[in-house]
Amino acid sequence: MTVEGLVGITLLVVFVILILLFAGLRDRWPVVLRPIESFRLLGQRIERAVEAGQRVHLSLGTGSVIGSDSAPALAGLAVLGKVARETSMSDRPVVVTAGDGAMTLLAQDTLRAAYNEAGAKDRYRATSGRLLAPTPFSYIAGLPVLLASEDVSVHMLIGSFGAEGALGADFGERNRIFVLAGTDDVQSQALLFATADHPLIGEEVFASGAYLNVGHLHRSSIRAQDVVRLLVVVAILIGTLLRTLGVGL
Amino acid sequence: MKIGTYMIWAAVAIGTGLLVLLGYFIELQVLLGLRLLLLQWAVLLAAAALLVGLFNLLSVHWSKVSLQEVGWPYSAILILFFLVTLVLGLIFGPDYEVVRLLFNYVQLPVEASLTALLAVALTLAGFRLVSRRRDLVSVIFLGSALLVLIGTGPWPVASDSFIAQGFGDLRAWISQVWAAGGARGVLLGVALGAVTTGLRILLAADRPYGD
Repeated sequence: MTVEGLVGITLLVVFVILILLFAGLRDRWPVVLRPIESFRLLGQRIERAVEAGQRVHLSLGTGSVIGSDSAPALAGLAVLGKVARETSMSDRPVVVTAGDGAMTLLAQDTLRAAYNEAGAKDRYRATSGRLLAPTPFSYIAGLPVLLASEDVSVHMLIGSFGAEGALGADFGERNRIFVLAGTDDVQSQALLFATADHPLIGEEVFASGAYLNVGHLHRSSIRAQDVVRLLVVVAILIGTLLRTLGVGL
Repeated sequence: MKIGTYMIWAAVAIGTGLLVLLGYFIELQVLLGLRLLLLQWAVLLAAAALLVGLFNLLSVHWSKVSLQEVGWPYSAILILFFLVTLVLGLIFGPDYEVVRLLFNYVQLPVEASLTALLAVALTLAGFRLVSRRRDLVSVIFLGSALLVLIGTGPWPVASDSFIAQGFGDLRAWISQVWAAGGARGVLLGVALGAVTTGLRILLAADRPYGD
């Protein structure tokens, strides 16, 4: 095993231990999250959409399951389960779109599991999880029709987007609906900051499950993430100091 | 029965995930071979999933046309072009002249137009940002964007003046020091967030494969 491999695997083991440790300590040391207005408003807007019989739309982006850009869409799927349970009794349940076939199947499975859990098995429709189009810009081109025809009032973009994500958020803003958008790409985050009313910056997109109370492991993993971040920052600082002093590693 | 099924899916997902992950860290020929084999299976499954997804796309739009829902003419056009392209592609192959023509003169121009639209949408969003979110972060965001634009683009006159040179230096300072530093910080957070998401799936806390 190489040194890099050993460091990587040690870091992952530490990460897992920390997540489980903080999950075990959740009653004695509850996780306090920094307030993010967008998530607070999201809960309200979803409730309002259910009451008004309007649709919640979740976009999982244009990344594929087997690509390196699948992580934000997987975070989106965790949010989907929660939103699907909350909107299961609505006249117009949540609709989720993706730009990848496998991601669409995962979305359908998540929806099915959420409806089963909510005791609304008969309300599940396979067409609620849709492949909108298989290329990034054709996917975005399909969004305006979907937003208008499905009477969407909450438009969430939680997935992998390139520059086209900015257009996806902009279409929502033009319809004057609630737009919450986050992705993993730094440049796209800058574009979403300009176009979306409620942009998620940095790793906020991965913290969405914790903020929406998807499960206690989501909350404990946020704390573990902070600890590992601190370790990485200390390691960077020590490395910088040693290099400045001329000590080679 | 339900608990049993869920446990089987979770065990398969965890086992497969661990094997692929370990293949990246431990240089064992068996692990490396297994990782490659599993990834090849994943690629095949993704291709099959794309076919299922396309069938889903067709059924969604077919249903819209049948029920004459809002925007059904768009769905009808989509179905028409979908079937024409599919049949031509299956019979004559993707290099057939008509298929290439459809791609080069329909798909590409539409996507290029959307890219152009992005520039307009971003400019308008910049103006909207001023009226919508009047906070310090938005002001810094817009100020930096303007300074970088002025420092990057060619000037109509006096492009080689010391003022233009000064803006160029300012742009370099903003993008290479502040923006690069900030982006690295964001990237560190994103990487940790992605790892956490993956670990939650390996711990079966998140089960995107359903129950």
